[in-house]
Amino acid sequence: MKHPSEEHDLIRWIDGEMNETERTAFEEHLKHDAALATEAQKMRALSDSLRAHMPAEMHVPHADYFNTQIGVRITQMALDEARSKQSAGLGGVLQWLRQPWFALAGAAALGVLGFFLLTPETGDASESMILSSYTPNTNVQARTYHDHNADATVLMLDGLDAVPAERKISGINIQRSELEPELASTTMYNAQGAAVFMISRDALGNPMISAR
Amino acid sequence: MPASAATDPGEVSDLDLVKRSQAGDTRAFDVLVTRYRGRIYAMTYHLIQNETEAWDLAQEAFIKAWRALPTFKHDAGFYTWLYRIAHNVSYDWLRKKKIQGDGEFDDERTEHRIAAGAEATPKGDLAPDTALRNAELGQRIQEAISRLSPEHRQVIVLREVEGLAYEEIAALIPCSLGTVMSRLFYARKKLQEQLHDVYETSL
Amino acid sequence: MKIVLPALFLISCTALACAQDLEAPPPIITSVKHATDGHVWGALIFATNDATKLTGTNEEAHADLPKLNERLAKVFPFKHFEILGQHRQDIFREYESWVVPSRDLFMKIDSKGPADSGGVNLHLQVWRQHQVLVKSDAILRKDSPLFIGGPPWKEGRLIFVLFLESK
Repeated sequence: MKHPSEEHDLIRWIDGEMNETERTAFEEHLKHDAALATEAQKMRALSDSLRAHMPAEMHVPHADYFNTQIGVRITQMALDEARSKQSAGLGGVLQWLRQPWFALAGAAALGVLGFFLLTPETGDASESMILSSYTPNTNVQARTYHDHNADATVLMLDGLDAVPAERKISGINIQRSELEPELASTTMYNAQGAAVFMISRDALGNPMISAR
Repeated sequence: MPASAATDPGEVSDLDLVKRSQAGDTRAFDVLVTRYRGRIYAMTYHLIQNETEAWDLAQEAFIKAWRALPTFKHDAGFYTWLYRIAHNVSYDWLRKKKIQGDGEFDDERTEHRIAAGAEATPKGDLAPDTALRNAELGQRIQEAISRLSPEHRQVIVLREVEGLAYEEIAALIPCSLGTVMSRLFYARKKLQEQLHDVYETSL
Repeated sequence: MKIVLPALFLISCTALACAQDLEAPPPIITSVKHATDGHVWGALIFATNDATKLTGTNEEAHADLPKLNERLAKVFPFKHFEILGQHRQDIFREYESWVVPSRDLFMKIDSKGPADSGGVNLHLQVWRQHQVLVKSDAILRKDSPLFIGGPPWKEGRLIFVLFLESK
């Protein structure tokens, strides 16, 4: 393995971080060190590949909803803040809410993305509430309401693909969990205190359930 | 530091939009979100390598920016300031989730592994330009990056995507210049190691 | 449309704000190891009209959630409701919490802290293996379960129930 200073020189040369004098000297050195020259070439090629495949700007999925949801959350923060300053009342917030942002946000939110806002008649301090909802699959529609007969808040997902009938769905009974932050995992235990499985994330951030 | 997006003549400047946002004009902030969401999302996506989480974190960055707007002093560009927030949000998430590829953080241990992998690297000139045309390579690069430790992934994104100078990377992380160079070196070596079969087949 | 939507939104937010004035914030519940913002019970339920399709589990509903089947029947047009799996879970304050009554359909919960008017502010994600079905911001309150109508299965439907425990 090379000396750290040689590694640093190599990196600085690739990244154009050398001044003219350093660059000339290093390139002269490369002429007499074939192995280093090959490595420099490979590393520069890799660097080019990375830049080609990692764009600095990307299309944001569901971009309108992205903006809308920010508006909703800012609204929620404003409401929280308004409540904490009860002496100021809600007047300021209401004025703030009238701004054009919310016309745009509302229009976008109620598009095809499955976003919705609670209607006022469903709002009750004793009921659970769905404030917003988002379905990545645009074929899926989410709608919410409070069912007074069932005394439950409902989030209905329509348009989901059916689970194949032949698939056996096994339930689990979990009564306790232990979080292990160092491993970014949670171990689940059944009523008998036995560890049933562990859930963590794979390298792509997807949940990974592994047996214990 | 990353430059702000080029604005068309007649387009409202960042400075004006920020001032209006600081005064509570959420529509002005919406324009800023629209202007920079693509770049912020790209950064979070490259760091996180997961569309859903990157989307959430990009949004979180804008929310934090909104909350922090009263402290924005105009002595730095808005995008530079926003970028720092997004970077910190994403990197905190990465550290929290411990998404570390093979879990290597220690440069000496990494160096040892690279030495072993380097022996398997095929000799001779590579043809990366040819491989670049292969759509599969893009996927392979993403997978290889997702296996890097957060520290290595971080410097690759800051350097290769954002084009930050070493001093800027050192200030952002923060760490010494030497650490930046070492991490860049080993991060690239690890990527070479993971992608060496791609190069091999492209020969 | 442009007039109605912001008006609806405005009214909703106003209702929310007013509702939040009714109760004092609940006491914060903590566990020995990690701070929590509450405890939930989650269940995966199979709803069907065909009793022969039931899987035969004998899981019982949470004791504080009476007449669950009758309540489900008021929302979902099925005769039989069977709890396939259930999960009691702490809502960790600083870490994500998973409610996994089944490996097939489960939920991730991120707490945003106690809600001003009682209950807890949550970000919910319903997962079907590696696929997110829905992401929601919600306020979950005691004695007010959340019924999530999930995918069809065996001519019936899978339902996810989430309930904030009183303890």
